[in-house]
Amino acid sequence: MTNVYVMEKIPEKIIIPLKQHDGCLCTPLVNKGDMVSMGQKIGECECYDSASIHSSVCGEVISIEEAANPNGTKVNSVIIQPAEAVECVDLTPVKDVSASKLVDVIKDAGIVEHYGTPTHKVLRPEGKQIDTVLINATSSEWIGGHYDTSAQYASQMIDALKLLMKAAGASKGAVVLRNDDLESINAFDHLRIDGKLLTVAPLMGKRKLSYYFKDMGSDIIVVSQERIYGQKILDLLTYNLTGRRVSFCCDPTDVGVAICGVKSAKALYDAVHEGRPYIETVVSVSGKVNSPKKILVKIGTPFKDVIDACGGYMGEPGKLIANGAVTGVAQYTDDVPVTKMTTSITVLSADEVIRDVSIDCTHCARCADVCPVDLIPSRITAFADRGRFDECRQMNILNCVECGRCSAVCPSKIHLLQLIRYAKNSIENAYEDLSSKESPANLKLGCGCSGGN
Amino acid sequence: MTFTISAPPHKKENITFKKIMWAKVLALMPVVLLSVYLFGLPAIGLVAASIFAAIATEAAIQKAFGQKITIADGHAVLIGLMVAMIIPPEVPLWIPMIGTVFAVGIGKHAFGGIGSYVFNPVLAAWLFLSLAWGSIMAPTSYPQTSALFELVLENGAGVIAGVSPFFILLAGAVLIFRRYIEWRIPVAFFVTTVLLAFLLGDSLSYVILGVVVFGALFIATDTSTSPTTKNGRVIYGIVCGVLVVVYGHFANYVDGTFYGLFLANCVASLIDNSTLPASYGTETFLQRKYRSIVSKIPFKDRLEVFLDD
Repeated sequence: MTNVYVMEKIPEKIIIPLKQHDGCLCTPLVNKGDMVSMGQKIGECECYDSASIHSSVCGEVISIEEAANPNGTKVNSVIIQPAEAVECVDLTPVKDVSASKLVDVIKDAGIVEHYGTPTHKVLRPEGKQIDTVLINATSSEWIGGHYDTSAQYASQMIDALKLLMKAAGASKGAVVLRNDDLESINAFDHLRIDGKLLTVAPLMGKRKLSYYFKDMGSDIIVVSQERIYGQKILDLLTYNLTGRRVSFCCDPTDVGVAICGVKSAKALYDAVHEGRPYIETVVSVSGKVNSPKKILVKIGTPFKDVIDACGGYMGEPGKLIANGAVTGVAQYTDDVPVTKMTTSITVLSADEVIRDVSIDCTHCARCADVCPVDLIPSRITAFADRGRFDECRQMNILNCVECGRCSAVCPSKIHLLQLIRYAKNSIENAYEDLSSKESPANLKLGCGCSGGN
Repeated sequence: MTFTISAPPHKKENITFKKIMWAKVLALMPVVLLSVYLFGLPAIGLVAASIFAAIATEAAIQKAFGQKITIADGHAVLIGLMVAMIIPPEVPLWIPMIGTVFAVGIGKHAFGGIGSYVFNPVLAAWLFLSLAWGSIMAPTSYPQTSALFELVLENGAGVIAGVSPFFILLAGAVLIFRRYIEWRIPVAFFVTTVLLAFLLGDSLSYVILGVVVFGALFIATDTSTSPTTKNGRVIYGIVCGVLVVVYGHFANYVDGTFYGLFLANCVASLIDNSTLPASYGTETFLQRKYRSIVSKIPFKDRLEVFLDD
């Protein structure tokens, strides 16, 4: 079990952005000069597309202003100066509640997936029915949480899965592990759910989850698969596990699959069993810091203080990256806070910063060889560079999981990932307001699901 | 404290075009040195003249058109070296120089520089020289691998590239292992060539030659003139093999390799366009057929193990 350290030192100020998810901005419930206590709700929005924001410390609100956010923008944030005394709101566990009440609990606790969607929206999307809930534990950087033993991790995950299934009204659920993550596999193996012995099944060949549900005679299973990573892996993951294709402009909820992360599962478990809202999270700090580790921090802690807690910078830092060196966002200041979407912090030294100049593509096909979804990145980027987005779409650019492997192996140092994202954004923007302009009758999007019209 | 910001990925593999080119040049050096033993010092003169002309041409063209001068990336050096390696070493020195001027000037830059040329500049130069000065370009002897030792040092070799099949293979294997060159094309090419030649009754001692191995590993794998798709590269290798055998069967496998590969260059982009991979999860033709057959089987619920979902 990886040791998770708890950050003891309370930072000088806590910056809590009022938007830590994709959706509406929350309105602040406190004013400048107010005293807040730990766990108090400080931001809320009526809109279904948002999750509540809670204070992670006890202290005084010193200002409500636009502050830097790890996604690169500025977001209206509540800045709190922590006080000496630790005062916490009363935490009441909410056991044995109905499914619809559970969704409100999730929204109230402010639980958000690491990819940005509020968890209650994943579980109970408007106008869609979820039948399968998946907990994606395939990437080790998302295994965040403070557990005593690995068995505790496993049993809490299963409990959380049951809660998620209950909230979603889904009949089936699965935890997905990574093939080479033996520690987690051992933790889940031989665990008993409802008296039945659990076995971790590796996904083989073209078999999908439905086969394993039938094979094990159980509605809750644990499977393992190859590691896949990237910014937009949800569609590929859905296909790999259930065999359902997610159409353009849709997400996995359109085909009845809800994908949750380990972090949100843990947060839900805490919210139900301890009544604690989502106010702390585990980030893994790596790279050029004096003691890299996984550390449990309060949401809103500035990166600066997290790095200090990890022994400070080793030498002169060159780059500070939130959420992984491959797909993460480079920060221009270390005064940005840890949010619900932050999973890791990476520091690169000044001489590790890449300063390559692109040259022409030599069609070496290294990008095509590493692509996990069988694209021809070199050709797609050539089209994207010239603004020929329709051709990009014909070449299945929307399948791209944005893992960045093509950019990493390119000998010509072409910015493949950047160009692909540019083209994808342009395509998505072009279709964004289409449904309002056109009636569904004369609209042929090739979209078989109910979303979009 | 200043932080650099840039778009992801923030970590990349330490591989550049320059590195690949110089690695190829270095990998061919043992063969060049070995050729001195067979052909004497004129071989070195040939290589030097050829590389010099290639570099000078590239510099002159890029200077004239106001482009960035890219001699350091090693591509011109590689073209010069490879042209010298497929020319008989007895020729007067102006032959390789004209050859490389043609290769770099017409073969590479007239088509738009690295990554844009349709025909491999080395083959284009060889073809140009052979058509223009046929009698000078004819090698003094055509090799035959009669003993196993000839795989290491081929006595009958007519050109530098044919001196040692073993060392070329070794160089290619190292480059493939380092992923500097591609493995699908050489494997498909070699298997097809040997198989077809065997079926046609050609003696393999005329087929397993230094030049053929050189063609498979260094000429056919030239990135700009070969397809990008995975299936396309296998098909391209097979096409190369078929064309080489067609020429080789009726003439000889030394000239056959160059003509065959040059012709295969013509169809490379067509292969590329017609083998674009489908979106993941799309059924292939065989899978569709299989499914339609299986769905007609009665009592198929008993076969549900075989049927997914």
